[in-house]
Amino acid sequence: MTSRERHLTTARWVAALMVGAFAMVACGNQPSGGGTTKYVVGVSNTLQGNGWREEMICSIKAQAKASGVVSKVVIANRNTDAAGQIADIRNLISSGANVIVINPSDRDALNAVIKQATDKGIVVVAVDQAVSEPTAYVVSNDQVAYGQLGADWLAKQLGGKGNIIEMRGINGVPADTDRHQGLTTALAAYPNIKVIKQTFTNWSLDPAAQQMKDIFSSGIQYNGIWTSGIDSTVVDQFQSAGKPYVPIVGADNNKFVQELATLKDKGLIGAAVTNPPPIGGAGLAVGLAILQKTHSYDHVIHLTPQVWDNTTAAGVSKLQTTYDSSLDPYYSVAFDVKPYTTYTKQDLIACAGPS
Amino acid sequence: MATAAAAAPRTSGIRFGRAARRYGWTIAVYSLFAVLMVVTLIIKPDYGAFEWNTLTLAALPLAFAATAQTIVVLSGGIDLSVGPLMALANVLALRAMLGHDLGYSLIVALIVLLEVTLAGALNGAIIVLTRVPDIVITLATSFIWAGLALLVLAKPTPGVPFDFQNLAQGSTLSAWIPNALLLLLVIPLVWIPLRRSRAGLAIYAVGSDRNAAFRSGVNLGLSRVLAYAVGGFFAACGGLALSMTTGVGSPLAGTYYTLSGVSAIVLGGVSLAGGRGGMLGPVAAAYILSLIPAVLIYLGIDPNYGQMIQGVLIVIVVMIGGLGVVLRRA
Repeated sequence: MTSRERHLTTARWVAALMVGAFAMVACGNQPSGGGTTKYVVGVSNTLQGNGWREEMICSIKAQAKASGVVSKVVIANRNTDAAGQIADIRNLISSGANVIVINPSDRDALNAVIKQATDKGIVVVAVDQAVSEPTAYVVSNDQVAYGQLGADWLAKQLGGKGNIIEMRGINGVPADTDRHQGLTTALAAYPNIKVIKQTFTNWSLDPAAQQMKDIFSSGIQYNGIWTSGIDSTVVDQFQSAGKPYVPIVGADNNKFVQELATLKDKGLIGAAVTNPPPIGGAGLAVGLAILQKTHSYDHVIHLTPQVWDNTTAAGVSKLQTTYDSSLDPYYSVAFDVKPYTTYTKQDLIACAGPS
Repeated sequence: MATAAAAAPRTSGIRFGRAARRYGWTIAVYSLFAVLMVVTLIIKPDYGAFEWNTLTLAALPLAFAATAQTIVVLSGGIDLSVGPLMALANVLALRAMLGHDLGYSLIVALIVLLEVTLAGALNGAIIVLTRVPDIVITLATSFIWAGLALLVLAKPTPGVPFDFQNLAQGSTLSAWIPNALLLLLVIPLVWIPLRRSRAGLAIYAVGSDRNAAFRSGVNLGLSRVLAYAVGGFFAACGGLALSMTTGVGSPLAGTYYTLSGVSAIVLGGVSLAGGRGGMLGPVAAAYILSLIPAVLIYLGIDPNYGQMIQGVLIVIVVMIGGLGVVLRRA
């Protein structure tokens, strides 16, 4: 080693130390435990009281714990709009987060604040729904395909003819827009299928129940119902109103899966399109890998949804085996997203982050 | 005021009492804000310009929503359509600004302010003409404005010109004086001249005792329409603030601001019975209500407690305020 090289090596060491010291100062509250770097994870969610989102948050906590490199999970979770979510993300930046996992309330409104975060070296992962900011990572179900696959199944069930009700999510949020686009694309191939009514459930149980009551009393002629995931509520409304079932498309929610598996002889025909909430944990796993440079990923990672229907014996047995009585009825039956998540089902149910 | 000044030595106690009555709540709200800021600084010693800017950005639309509600409540009314009026301003602005420069956007902003002021005036005019209670009419018009906003723009759309966004997001003067703080100057610019004018006095008079105001020769209808019109103006400011802070137009933008605006004015010492209160309190309350979620995030407290803490705080402040009123009467 020449003296010049030695000099350079020393300089590199000094630089590394300075960067390290700066990072510790900048991130303040990061105890480094057992030699491994401990990261702070921020989570931003803007829909409370929704089983799917609760499971998503639990999966992030579980993955944070399982990863062993996270010291703290800071959660900003309240019912708010894009302006509120911008403030929440800024507060997470201030909290010293190294990875921020967001379920975005708008595709474009968060771009400026995401850019601010990524400029500071924070890895931002949008899960479940997409954002248009290119420096962010997007880990989500292919929501266009979600809409398309379910609508296509429903149209085929109806023999390409009839009226369907489209029970959407929250108007204007990216996943709702994408699913609607998928549904519209699928139905373009079936000119005799008509969307007779469109509702926004806001992905909440009560509005969906009320909308079904309104539909029953309005006398609208319908032949099938497509839901954006508030599904078992719709089935329950058919049961309590004593109305004959029509084919219903929902998601892989635990209670809906159970209903598809058990109510077939009562006349319920339906399909569950997968949309796993542990996408939150998967997003964190991707974010941590990017941060630790252990793996590189594309900026957009899409899961392709599957359709589980109860029209065949094989489908029914699949639904029966997938139903999981140990999980909350409004959780999804999916407790992990392989190969990304590494926690166990017990971790998810415990819903505990690193202590 | 002149006579009071001349007789100052004898009546200073009375004047102090009057000042305390008039500004007591406002002082209390600002003290609460100061205490919260100190707590925040203790929790987060590295609180800096970035965090301060976060607060000013979060509070900006809420402050305008609160201001819009304040003027209406002062006149003895209530406006449940503040949120939808904000959404309407927000989508009208986006539609017209899309793809234009700052100068054009500013002209659009002025036109939107005018349009939504007229919408507010229409709220007031319908109430005065039909004599149906304010809460019923504004509940009905809230659906009308919300529907109109959806007709203008069916779904959230980006495209607010970058320079226009920077009017709120930037920090032109200094990092500690963000533009989002300076934009609040619109409130005193409109409010102080109005309050000092005959029309402003009439709004207070109508709000505190409609009969007495009528017998004193105040034009009740005109005063109430004016209050709703100014409310519409501030709601439009709130909608434009959302355009600036988010960069998108969204027909559902105002959803959260009707009720949180009412929270802010209650916390800010505006009597929901009308005639009492000012603008300083609600603006500080908007800052307090925006600071609480930030503090919870800094502390890492379960976010589900956030709304509860907010509610408890309002109850405590209102109880203390009510106690003050009772003690004064005793």
